[in-house]
Amino acid sequence: MTWLIGVVCGFAAMGAGALVVIEGGLFNATASTPHIAAVGLAAHTAFIRSVEVRAKGVEAPTRFAPADVTAGFRDYDRSCVACHGAPGVSNASWAHAMTPPPPYLEDAARRWRPRELYWIVGQGVKMTAMPAWAEVRSDAQVWDLVAFLEALPYLTVADYARMRAEAGSATVATPGPGASPTAPPPFAPE
Amino acid sequence: MTSDQAWLRFSWRLGTLIALAAVCAAPLGACVRRPAEPTWAKFGGDPSQGAILVGRFGCGACHQIAGVQGADGKVGPPLSTFADRTMIAGVLPNTPENLVRWLRHPQAVVPGNAMPDVGLTDAQARDIAAYLYRGP
Repeated sequence: MTWLIGVVCGFAAMGAGALVVIEGGLFNATASTPHIAAVGLAAHTAFIRSVEVRAKGVEAPTRFAPADVTAGFRDYDRSCVACHGAPGVSNASWAHAMTPPPPYLEDAARRWRPRELYWIVGQGVKMTAMPAWAEVRSDAQVWDLVAFLEALPYLTVADYARMRAEAGSATVATPGPGASPTAPPPFAPE
Repeated sequence: MTSDQAWLRFSWRLGTLIALAAVCAAPLGACVRRPAEPTWAKFGGDPSQGAILVGRFGCGACHQIAGVQGADGKVGPPLSTFADRTMIAGVLPNTPENLVRWLRHPQAVVPGNAMPDVGLTDAQARDIAAYLYRGP
């Protein structure tokens, strides 16, 4: 019986502790400070596991057509590159001010299965500013983005610049902010 | 003189000899090994600020960097023990000034390589270089 009292008291203490952290404003919610290492690790691991578990039921296409990659590129270059960059292309300066900072996706296809990329792109990621693109894109469009991410590890800086030129994006390998003041932003308004 | 005293004297002399040898050998060791003064201390970067910037600018998406959370990328080379490296990007001798130049303008140093110019200021590049040289 005493062990039960111990467990109950333990949980009560944890609850009280959590209340103090939350109500006392002890959690630093600013984006100007990085996560405490343990918090960052816990959140990131929870995100990875969440995606792995929830994407299990998704049926991914066995292969993507070059046209899918091109369509995905157009959307990526318009909607994603500001936060995630591209080969030889920096993300926007304000993306460096985000916590967690949005990652470059050069090797995303080596870290995730296609179905998991589909899940992340389509469903977004809480508390990271990653939108759920399935809310504003068709299912096929989300898969096009996955097709592009699958192709990304094979693209050179020159390839990306050429795709931009062919798509009429007018920009050729946008250097970092400040380096080329005349270059248009790497994304066009919708 | 008892054998105890002889033993004590012998020990004392041996100890002195070893200590003297160590003192004499220390400068010799310093010649062979890396200089005691860290490289980054000479050109003014703040390594702890650099660690934060490495996280902010997403360096870890492409590079493995000891002491930076989530810096496990395998797109570019690992950057742990960078001080032991001979060349930067295969083209620049590994000096602090060259590292700052590379960090700020990778596309100017090696056009068409995958590393973007992320718009680092000189001070930011120095902080990051200081961290890469010092390590965690």
